[in-house]
Amino acid sequence: MSDPGHAHADAFFLDTPDGPRFCMYHAPRGECRGALVYVHPFAEEMNRSRRMAALGARALANQGIGVLLLDLHGCGDSAGDFGDATWDGWLRDVAQGRAWIEERLGRTAGLWGLRVGALLAVVHAQTAAVAPERLLLWQPVTNGSGYLNGFLRLRLAGELLAGGSDSGGTEALREALAADEALEIAGYTLNPQLAAGLDAADARALGPRCPISWFEVTAAAGRPLPPAAVRVADTWRLQGSRVDLVPVQGPQFWTAPETIDCPALIEATLARLETPDA
Amino acid sequence: MPEERAIAFSCRGAWLYGILSLPQAAARPSSRGVLIVVGGPQYRAGSHRQFTLLARDLAHAGIPAMRFDYRGMGDSEGDLQNFENVDDDLRAAIDRFVAEVPGLSEIVLWGLCDGASAAAMYAPQDPRVAGLVLLNPWVRTEEGAARATIKHYYKDRLFDARLWKKIGSGQFDVKDSVRSLWDNVGKAFGPKLDAGTAASRDGAPLPERMQGALTRFGGRVLVVLSGADLTAQEFAALSHRSGPWQRLLGTPRFTRQQIDKADHTFSRRPWQDQVSSWTRDWLRSW
Repeated sequence: MSDPGHAHADAFFLDTPDGPRFCMYHAPRGECRGALVYVHPFAEEMNRSRRMAALGARALANQGIGVLLLDLHGCGDSAGDFGDATWDGWLRDVAQGRAWIEERLGRTAGLWGLRVGALLAVVHAQTAAVAPERLLLWQPVTNGSGYLNGFLRLRLAGELLAGGSDSGGTEALREALAADEALEIAGYTLNPQLAAGLDAADARALGPRCPISWFEVTAAAGRPLPPAAVRVADTWRLQGSRVDLVPVQGPQFWTAPETIDCPALIEATLARLETPDA
Repeated sequence: MPEERAIAFSCRGAWLYGILSLPQAAARPSSRGVLIVVGGPQYRAGSHRQFTLLARDLAHAGIPAMRFDYRGMGDSEGDLQNFENVDDDLRAAIDRFVAEVPGLSEIVLWGLCDGASAAAMYAPQDPRVAGLVLLNPWVRTEEGAARATIKHYYKDRLFDARLWKKIGSGQFDVKDSVRSLWDNVGKAFGPKLDAGTAASRDGAPLPERMQGALTRFGGRVLVVLSGADLTAQEFAALSHRSGPWQRLLGTPRFTRQQIDKADHTFSRRPWQDQVSSWTRDWLRSW
C-alpha cells in the first residue's frame, strides 16, 4: 500500500477520572497558531457529521491550529454506554480535553462545537474558571429544552410508524423522565439525568466571555438568518460578548440521510480564523 | 473489560483509522477474529453505536474484533468510496488486524446493508476470510425493490431503510414523516430509484454478482434479516424464487436467522443483543 507521505493523526484513549475517552489529535502544521477542542453533536447527528469534523480538523491543522476531537462519555469510541452518560459528565469531558491540549500546546484552547456540542461548548464557556480562548459554533443548539422535545418526538414517530398509537405526546415522555425512567429513543437509551441537563441548558443565560464565531448553514443563498439565532446573538452582545454571526450556504450534513460535505462551512471557518483579532 | 486499541494504517495514500477490541490477555485467544464492515452513511461506531457495542461484546466473549472507516468515511482520509470499490481498504484492514493480534489466522467479515455486500464481494479474493455475517444485505434493483414493496409493504406495514435513516437523523415532524413514508412508497413504483442501481463494472445486475461471489466463496455464511425492512425483504425474495440463489442459500454452509419486528439497523437493544448472541454462537459452531 502506498505511503500517504504525511503523518497520521494521533488516535488514542485519554485516561480521565471518569474513564477512557477516545481522542483524535490533529497536530498543527508549522508554527502553532491556536488550539481547539471539537465537541460533537448528539446521538445520530454525531455519526452523520464525523466526516465533516475530520475534514474541518485536517483543514484547521494545516493552518497551524491543533485540534483535539474528543468522544464524550458513552459516545463514538469512548468507554461506557450512552445510557449512562450525564450532562455534567460531558462537561467534565470537555474540560479534560481542553486541559490535555492546553498542556500539549502550551496555550489556552478554544472550543469548536456542532449542534448540541456547540451548546456544551457555550455552557463550558459560561462556567469555566478560565474562559476558552474562543468559541467556534457550527449551527449551535441554543435551547436544550427545544432540542430535547425534538428528540422525544422521534420516539412518538417510531410508535406511530410501527403501527401503534403514540404514548401520549412529549409531555407523557417528560413525565416518565421526571419519574426517573430511562427512555429508549431511536436506538439510544436516554437517562433522566442527561435529559434534565440538556433540558436546562440555555445559551441565552449568559454571554460567553470570549470571542464567538457563529456559523449558520442555510439551504439557499440570501436566506435571512434564523430569527432565534439573531435574538441569542443580540442578547449576548448586550451582555458584552463579541459575536460574529456568519451565514453559510450548504446542506444540513448532520441530518442528511447520505454522507454529504459542506465545504463552504470549512472555508468560512478558516476565513474567520485568518481575520486578525477575530 | 476488553482492551481497546486505536490504530492508523494506510491504503492507497490515505490514512485509515480503526479500533481493535481485544479479549483480556488472560483469556485463551481465539484464532478467529471479526472485522466489522461499515455500510451506508455510517462510520465505525455504527448507527446508535451498534458496532462499538458489538465489538466489545465479541471481545468479552474471547473473540478479537476490529472496526474501521474506509476511505472517505468518518475519520479516514481520501474520497468517499462506493461500496463496490473498497477491496483495497478491506485488504489493508485485514493485513493490520492480523499483524496486531498474534495467533489470528481466520477472519470473519461482518457487514450490514451495503457493508454486507462489500464483504461478500471481497470474500472470495482473500483466503484469510473464513466466514461472512451478512445483515440485511443490499441487493437493490428497481424490479426487486418494487416487488418487495408490493409483496410486503401493505401486508406488514414495512418501511424502507431510507425512512428509518430519516427518523434516526433528528430533524423530525410526525406529520411530515408519515407523508414522506407515502412518498417513499410512491418512489418504489416510479420509473427510477436513485440508489444502488448504477450499472456495475461488468454489467451484471448486483444480485447476480453477489450470487457469483458467494458461490466462489466456499466458507460459512450467516445471514440475518430484519422483518421490518425492505432491503432485507428484497434479499429474502431472491431465495423464494427457484434458481441459483435458492440452491445457494439452501446449502449447509448457509445459516439464516430473522428478527421479525426489527428495522433496518436493529435499532432496539434486544434486537442488537440477539444479533450479537447469534454471531457469537455461530462463530463457535464451526
